[in-house]
Amino acid sequence: VLHTTRPLHTTQRSLAPVPPLPEKGGEVRHGLIPEEFFQFLYPKTGVTGPYMLGTGLLLYFLSKEIYVINHETVAAACILSVIIYGIKKFGADVAAFADKLNEEKVATALAVKNEALQALQTAIEEEKKEQWRVEGRSYLFDAKRNNVAMLLEANYRERLLTVYSEVKKRLDYQVAMQNLKRQKEQEHMIQWVEKNVVQSITPQQQKESIAKCILDLKALSQSAHAAV
Amino acid sequence: MAGRRAALKAVDWAAFAERVPPNQRAMFNALKTRNDALTARLAALPEKPPAIDWAFYKANVAKAGMVDEFQKKFSALKVPEPVDTQTAKIDAQEKEAAKSTAEYIEASKARITQYEHQLQKLKSMIPFEQMTFEDLSEAFPETKLNKEKYPFWPHKPIADL
Repeated sequence: VLHTTRPLHTTQRSLAPVPPLPEKGGEVRHGLIPEEFFQFLYPKTGVTGPYMLGTGLLLYFLSKEIYVINHETVAAACILSVIIYGIKKFGADVAAFADKLNEEKVATALAVKNEALQALQTAIEEEKKEQWRVEGRSYLFDAKRNNVAMLLEANYRERLLTVYSEVKKRLDYQVAMQNLKRQKEQEHMIQWVEKNVVQSITPQQQKESIAKCILDLKALSQSAHAAV
Repeated sequence: MAGRRAALKAVDWAAFAERVPPNQRAMFNALKTRNDALTARLAALPEKPPAIDWAFYKANVAKAGMVDEFQKKFSALKVPEPVDTQTAKIDAQEKEAAKSTAEYIEASKARITQYEHQLQKLKSMIPFEQMTFEDLSEAFPETKLNKEKYPFWPHKPIADL
């Protein structure tokens, strides 16, 4: 991606926020020279242009001794080769590691945000539920009033019942008393009559009745003998 | 007779039970058992006591006038109804409850609007990858570093790191 194409502050709304930075940096060739340079020279010199330019410049510096080859050249060559080897071998891993660290930070932030969202949603639902619950309070008062009414009614009925049973008890008592008295009178009369009758039987009458009984018995036994 | 037989309102115990929050279940159960006990007691009592057979007693009781006197007094007797002291209190309680529930619902609605406001803010946030630290401090003001109180890095007490 060539970043020369990024439009910055080109339109009327030049104070608007800048669009976010691109994910990857600008492309470079050989790790040093940006691609824009090659594109810049392409129309005039084609694909090999910049390389020719580079080679020519290098030979010019060497031959005119603008750049002198001394021991530091060798040192530079060794150091550079080690560095380039290191980057080529471990570059990708290190980049991935750094990216992972960043990813973790972003992921924690995202998790926090999602949790907050979730908590808010549940809080809203809970509140709605509590409101719904509150609507049921009329049931409570109805039940209480029912209780009171039932208690009063039961009490009233109990009172009626008590009155009735008391009156009935009294009347029944009267009737029972009368019955008992009558019964006792009857018994007493019977006994008195019996006693008087027994008393009125004189000894003379007793003898006569006993003689009659014996005669009757004899007659009966004779008839019984005869029957057997 | 006025006042007697205030009709019992049918209470939908299933719907009632649904709306009871778990921490008040015990009270609800107590109320229900009380109600059931009272219903059973009421159902066991007859509505009117049986009528007394005055003719029988008049024929059988010898004491003159006693049965007539009893009959007169009995029909003249008015059993006093138990006085209802609690319904007024219950109505007052209900009014109070209505008021406090209205307040509670108001507060609840305010809370809901607050939560929804927060929700909107969170949903319309830019993604974290495109934020700078300034943007983060705007979205979550609690992460803002207090540079006046702690002028040196890390701008918060070491214990908070």
